[in-house]
Amino acid sequence: MKQKIYRHPIIVRLTHWVSALALFVLAMSGMQIFNAHPALYASDASNFQSPVLMISGSEDMDAPEGWVQLGNHRFITTHVLGYGPNGMGGEGVRAFPSWATIPAYQDLADGRRWHLFFAWIFVICALLYARWAFDLRPTLADLRALPAALKAHLLPWRVKPRAHLNPMQKLTYFGVVFIVAPIIILSGLALGPSVDSWAPWLPAMFGGRQFARIWHFSGMIALMLFFVIHIAMVTLTGVWNNLRSMITGWFVVVPEENSEAVPVKAPVATAVKETS
Amino acid sequence: MKRIGRAGFLALVGTSALAGCASIATNLTENESFHRVLELPERLNLAVLGSGQPLAREYSDSAISPVFRHNGFDPPSTPDYISWSRKAWHGYRLFVTGLVETPKSYDLDTLRRSFPRVAQTTRHDCVEGWSVIGKWTGVVLRDVLADCSPKPQAKYVVFHCMDQDPGGEAYYESLDMHQAAHPQALLAYELNDRPIPIENGAPIRLKVPTQLGYKSAKYVQRIEVVAGLGGMYGNGGYWEDQGYEWFAGI
Repeated sequence: MKQKIYRHPIIVRLTHWVSALALFVLAMSGMQIFNAHPALYASDASNFQSPVLMISGSEDMDAPEGWVQLGNHRFITTHVLGYGPNGMGGEGVRAFPSWATIPAYQDLADGRRWHLFFAWIFVICALLYARWAFDLRPTLADLRALPAALKAHLLPWRVKPRAHLNPMQKLTYFGVVFIVAPIIILSGLALGPSVDSWAPWLPAMFGGRQFARIWHFSGMIALMLFFVIHIAMVTLTGVWNNLRSMITGWFVVVPEENSEAVPVKAPVATAVKETS
Repeated sequence: MKRIGRAGFLALVGTSALAGCASIATNLTENESFHRVLELPERLNLAVLGSGQPLAREYSDSAISPVFRHNGFDPPSTPDYISWSRKAWHGYRLFVTGLVETPKSYDLDTLRRSFPRVAQTTRHDCVEGWSVIGKWTGVVLRDVLADCSPKPQAKYVVFHCMDQDPGGEAYYESLDMHQAAHPQALLAYELNDRPIPIENGAPIRLKVPTQLGYKSAKYVQRIEVVAGLGGMYGNGGYWEDQGYEWFAGI
């Protein structure tokens, strides 16, 4: 028999969608900011001779070229990274293309306005979310059950909706809220010279200001990876049921066959109602 | 018909969705009321970070960057500037005007002799994202201001510079009295123990290590104490007039 449970309280649903929006604006305006100096250094001040990552290109009329340089390796990425759409109807040397940045054309000042506005929204959401995500801290039993859950999710469309989150979900959501989000927020703050005068330990914690840029950038990559896997899993494990639970809060579950494995307390299920 | 496959299709959907977002956001940016909303965090940042006078980290000389990268306009090209630069800055004077009891002007020698010589090795963070470390030597801004006795209604200090953008618009910057009183706000005359190179702002550069590089105005010629920004002072600086934050602490 299927049951309908109230899975997500309003505050979780609201902050979920607002942070999803904030995440996109932050990534896209962040790429706009990155375009102003498209290089990362593993040091405090910039070591211009040896960037860890650099995305640039050459404007040569006959053979324009865009490339991504990672350490000593150069990957040709013409028309996408390094050389690509400039948001003014043409192409030019530009780390991230105009379709991935806010604003589309090169505009550091407005990119910063967007970024610093949504940074505050993201911080507020992260703080509200933290209260809820703390309930997801993985237990020893979760870690033991992890291999089985991983195996089950190799065929995600066969995964049955349950009242409780599986160990993989718990680890992922907990990791995003308590590891990736703090890293991305703190490393972003470490880039502000005034912030650094208040908290000199902040850039030091990340290996210096330029190194903090690497942490900040890597945090963005991690969140984008999370987003892709999250969307894939939401789609493959029952897209309408999943979406409904994050819009109205209600989620249809199949009770576990093996009663021993049923955790009595589902932390986010506050109400249960029977359905046909 | 060319088959793009499932991965290609997903990539196409993904990039089109991003392009849609970028386009909506670009249009919103150009909307004046929306832009005013986007500007709100600057006040919040100033409220959170602007009080107190915490010091920017000072580095040992071994941390000094081999080259102090420079940015901005070409150096001033007026006949006066060129002739001063050839005569070890003889003829150049730094003026302090506006809401002060005693407006004054100083040549470089007077400036060096009249005020304590202070050095700081600090990090310079450009709004573009890069950083360099340099040793700046000069006089503390608040000492020079005190020498001219600002009037009670003084609220901001405007720095008029000698460099201009390609259109002839002069560079300028401003600090409020609190920021101008920061012990590390320097009127520097030396970079790394030598007279400031032309491209780094000779003969006098303002150095504000607690804010982004564009606040550290180069080629300063006149310091004007005023009661408020706005009017002829725009948003309080050349880059501020192009949309950048007046409070550049983040």
